[in-house]
Amino acid sequence: MRKALDLIYLAAGAMSALCILTICGLVTMQVIFNLITKLLGTQFAYTIPSYADFAGFLLAAASFLALAYTLKHEGHIRVTLFRDFLKGTLGRVVEIITLALAAVAAVYMTYAMIGHLHESISYGDVSTGIIPVPLWLPQSTLVIGLALFTLALVDDLVCTILGVSKSGHLDEIEEEHHNV
Amino acid sequence: MSELMMIIVLVGALFGMLAMGMWVGFALTLTGALGMFMFTSAPLGPILATTFWGHSHSWALAALPLFILMGEILLRSRLSEDMFSGLTPWLGKVPGKLLHVNILGCAIFAAVSGSSAATAATIGKMSVPELQKRGYPDRLILGTLAGSATLGLLIPPSIILIVYGVATEQSIARLFIAGILPGAMLVAMFAAFIAITALLKPEIFPKEELNFSIREKLSASKRLLPVIALIAGVIGSIYAGIASPTDAAAVGVVLSLVLAWSSGSLTWKMFREAVMNATITSCMIAFILAGAAFLTVSMGFTGIPRNLASWIDTFNLGPWALLAALTVFFIVLGCFLDGISVVVLTTAIIMPMIESVGIDPLWFGIYLVIVVEMSQITPPVGFNLFVIQGLTGQNIFKIAMAALPFFMLLLLAVVLITLFPQIVTALPGLMRG
Amino acid sequence: EDWDMPTPYPDKTFHTVNIQQFADEVREATNGELNIKLHTAGSLIKHGEIKNSVRNQIVPAGEFFLSLLANEDPAFGIDSLPLVAVSYQDAARLWEAQEPVITELLAKQRLKPLFSVPWPPQGLYTKKEIKTVDDLNGLKFRSYNANLEKFATMVGAAPTQVEAPDIPQAFATGQVEAMITSPSTGANSKAWDFLSHYTPINAWVPKNIVVVNMAAFNALDEETQAAVLEAAAAAEERGWNMSRREAEEKTQELADNGITIVEPSQELKDGLAKVGVELLEDWRANSTPAADKIIDAYYN
Ligand code: NA
Ligand code: NA
Repeated sequence: MRKALDLIYLAAGAMSALCILTICGLVTMQVIFNLITKLLGTQFAYTIPSYADFAGFLLAAASFLALAYTLKHEGHIRVTLFRDFLKGTLGRVVEIITLALAAVAAVYMTYAMIGHLHESISYGDVSTGIIPVPLWLPQSTLVIGLALFTLALVDDLVCTILGVSKSGHLDEIEEEHHNV
Repeated sequence: MSELMMIIVLVGALFGMLAMGMWVGFALTLTGALGMFMFTSAPLGPILATTFWGHSHSWALAALPLFILMGEILLRSRLSEDMFSGLTPWLGKVPGKLLHVNILGCAIFAAVSGSSAATAATIGKMSVPELQKRGYPDRLILGTLAGSATLGLLIPPSIILIVYGVATEQSIARLFIAGILPGAMLVAMFAAFIAITALLKPEIFPKEELNFSIREKLSASKRLLPVIALIAGVIGSIYAGIASPTDAAAVGVVLSLVLAWSSGSLTWKMFREAVMNATITSCMIAFILAGAAFLTVSMGFTGIPRNLASWIDTFNLGPWALLAALTVFFIVLGCFLDGISVVVLTTAIIMPMIESVGIDPLWFGIYLVIVVEMSQITPPVGFNLFVIQGLTGQNIFKIAMAALPFFMLLLLAVVLITLFPQIVTALPGLMRG
Repeated sequence: EDWDMPTPYPDKTFHTVNIQQFADEVREATNGELNIKLHTAGSLIKHGEIKNSVRNQIVPAGEFFLSLLANEDPAFGIDSLPLVAVSYQDAARLWEAQEPVITELLAKQRLKPLFSVPWPPQGLYTKKEIKTVDDLNGLKFRSYNANLEKFATMVGAAPTQVEAPDIPQAFATGQVEAMITSPSTGANSKAWDFLSHYTPINAWVPKNIVVVNMAAFNALDEETQAAVLEAAAAAEERGWNMSRREAEEKTQELADNGITIVEPSQELKDGLAKVGVELLEDWRANSTPAADKIIDAYYN
């Protein structure tokens, strides 16, 4: 179970990393095209249509798909100054309340984003750029990301209540799957 | 309910959640939700979803993960080490020694990046471990980094100047050029502060033996060539007209990969670590930005920032008093909102006041950016603080304390450009028209 | 009742000034019963999200650039098709043909158009004088939609994508050498900093539209509804006049700041008209029944 969950977070994190690399590749291609035009003249002008739109959609996917992975790597910022004073049971209670509140918020965010996705599908919304992209495609990455974020928060909540380690094998698993 | 009560409730909720250790992105979102729920009848869910979606797929923001990735690659290559070794012989005699690398590094990086968070992340990745290894005092390392990284907003290109230019119909090119001299002035002020601290308290600096012959200096400087090549490549791609400022971020990633490969430090493991760390950092920033965007929209529906600004307007202040009042207002607002939100939310109300008392909107844009720079290093919501916390694990109040002298220097810079507006207006005045 | 209304453009833009007056008139006519609060410059909702936000009742009303919806149906984008309507008279006739069709299309999204106001006609900005269509050959030409890309290709220019904020830098560095936009945008971005010639070819006359959510509108009592519609009609008429005045003033501002205003030669006009015929043919190949209806009504 633990291992399966960690694998899911890792897979989403890897997808997110792939999105960032794709943005980089896409933009680099366009810069190379610009360079070719600059060197050889305007008869050699190529553009990747709507590349700014695609970069934006990939950025959204990268940002949301990595939410759970980032949480598990303690990458999300929180103020721990006052928490450090709360030792023992009180500290654990505050942590459980915080996690529960965050989990509830994440459930609501996921629910709201599903509503948005549903609306987008039912009206057939498309992007406004040169290439019309059906918006449900990039928007579903937000839903998936938020759903996984919810899962990870509930996972952390349960682990904290049970008093077991939150992310036992994350690094080991990453070593094993270092070819992702 | 009165405005004041609304503000107290929301600020109390935000502080309470942050204090109990709530993740910043959630704390901002939940405060926004509370504001909407209590003080408006607007539909919460659709607004939340629309805001998250609308603010997450922006082209200008796409540069952020790329600049962060560039920093992660540079950190794992020999380049950061080389930058220090190359600069060391030159800065050895300067009081404050290698701390100036933080300042100069941020200033140079600001010339390729539009955001202060990216500047803090990239330079911090390189400089913090090196400076700590050499025994420089933590307080000054963190302070110079937090302070200098705000230059990312002022030295062009700058995301926030673009936002201001669009919102107030000012020429973005002129705003960019207007940012150059004040940016240089801040670099000089920060460097002077470090030098004076070093002269007054030499004992807190490491006793590095730093005597070099010219020959040694020159041979060490060869190690600076990769850094110079990188900067020249990134800035060159912009000024050669083949890359927009966002495109240039990708050029930076590719060039840093080439440099890492040529120095033999590029391995699959290193690359994987760099990419995954960049993913985590940019996700962290994106989540906070999403929360901040939602809080901003929520505030827009409640009307609090507007009413606050209108309230200031009722005092009919002269230009000096107005600027003083606005500075206080922006500093307070800047504690809780990110800079772009401050600009977007308030320009609509404040610009007419500014123009009615005869303040040049171009000058005001630069003033606003410096004030917003200050907000990047004030707790509880300060993006540079968050980024540096992510880098070092230090808590944000400690970082904010370390950055306090730089906050004061930024305030001094505001006073200076108010007394001598030519610092801002001289360069754009040279442009045609 | 309070209505939050997002608009995409800054306060000083004449569209925003016009809408502010519309809001004031509604407030007066209804004795404060309906209080429309503007949130300008995308401060509440980003431009790209305004239409959908009115649709799902996040806000009851909003303004947006009409041809932003061109990917939903070409009928929305017809006013941004180059060289179809090349004067205010043409634009008014086109809107007459377009209005009933898009009213029907928007009704499917529970939206009701209140009024639509054009931007000044779009002119050509370059760093050299353009005497004939051939002078555009080989220039790097800013294209941000499919129509413009085709236009650029047809005149032998190289289509280049540049995001709006990057324009000054792109001109300064030669990444782009020509663009078509309104005299307002040219003057507001201080085009004289980075280019030298303006040719008012009136390539097209695009419009902004103000829409209201049907449910929100129907929830108003009849008297208030009538007041809104009356103020909307007045705003449309006033807006068109403001647009004409804006075109003159902003062109003058360009001239005052040293930009050479070149009246298009007959040769250039004829050449562009020929390109326009080709573009329209091309466009009709992918058009929809709704869009055909507009074109047929316009050219009858
Ligand atoms: Na910058
Ligand atoms: Na702050």
